[in-house]
Amino acid sequence: MKRQNFQTVDLIQTATAREFNNLVLEAEGPIAVEFMSYSCAYCQALEPVLQLVAEKVGTQVKIFRVNIAVDPELAARYRIEATPTLVMFLSGQPIGRAEGPHPNFSTLLAAVIEPFQS
Amino acid sequence: MPLPQPVLLFNDECGVCRHIAHWVKQSAYGPSGGTFLIVRPIGEDPQALQTLRPGLNIWDAYATILLLMPDGTLKLGGEACAEVFRILPNTRWFAWLFNLGLFGFRPFQLLLNLGYLILADTRPLFGCESCGTPKGWVRPFAAAIKWISRLFGKKAVPLPRATSIASLSKPKI
Repeated sequence: MKRQNFQTVDLIQTATAREFNNLVLEAEGPIAVEFMSYSCAYCQALEPVLQLVAEKVGTQVKIFRVNIAVDPELAARYRIEATPTLVMFLSGQPIGRAEGPHPNFSTLLAAVIEPFQS
Repeated sequence: MPLPQPVLLFNDECGVCRHIAHWVKQSAYGPSGGTFLIVRPIGEDPQALQTLRPGLNIWDAYATILLLMPDGTLKLGGEACAEVFRILPNTRWFAWLFNLGLFGFRPFQLLLNLGYLILADTRPLFGCESCGTPKGWVRPFAAAIKWISRLFGKKAVPLPRATSIASLSKPKI
C-alpha cells in the first residue's frame, strides 16, 4: 500500500461539535484547530507534517482537528471555505488562520505559532 | 468478523470514482437479485473502517482503491481492479487475462496497473477537487485545460493546496 508515513500514534485529537466548546473555546492557552476532511487530498498531504508539528510544539500549542464533513456547522461558524484551514484560538477567540498551508514543516510550524507571538 | 462478500471501498468525493463505483454496483447484481460485491464509500469515520478491517487507516484507504476480501486479504490498485473484473458477471469472461504469465510477468496485469495509475493521477483533470494537486506529468495537461477553459470564458480556479468546501457535498450513489 502507498503508505504516507502516517504515525500509529495520533497526536491530534478530533474535536466534535459537542466537544468544541469544552476543548477549544473554554480551554486555556494557545490552540490550533485544523478544519479538514479525510477525503481531501491536501489534508492527507498535510497530516504527517501536522503530526510532526504537534510533536514539536508539545503542550505549548494544543492541536485539534475538526472534520467538516461530520461537523459542517463548525465550518460555517468559522467561515471555512476550503480544507485544510488552520484556525488559531486564544482564550476562545480566533486570532489567526492559514488556508491551504504548504505541507512543509517549517512553513506549517510558523503558521501555527506565529499568531500567538504577535 | 469475516466479511460475507468482497467489499470495494471508494472515494465518494471524487466524481470519477463515484461513476466507476456506480457502474460496478450496477454490474454486481446477480440473477437472483443478490449481489456479488458490496460497494461502499470510505466515508469520514475512521472507527467504522477499523470495524470493517482492524488496522485499516482511513488516510491509507483514500490513497488508493481497496478491495477487502472475505478471507481477510486486501487488494489494492490494479490488483483490486482485476479482482473486481473476476467477480463481476459481465467482465469475468476476460478476467483470466490478468492471470496470464509470460516470462515471469503478468503483462495484462501490468497494463491494468498502469491504466489504474494513469486514471488515478488524471482525476484532477476531470474536476476532482478533493484529489489534490495534479502529479508532475499531468500538470501540462491541466494547464492546457485551464487555458482552453479561460478561452471559453469559464472560471475554474480552485484554491491552491486546499479543497473548496463547495465541492465536498455531492449526491451519493
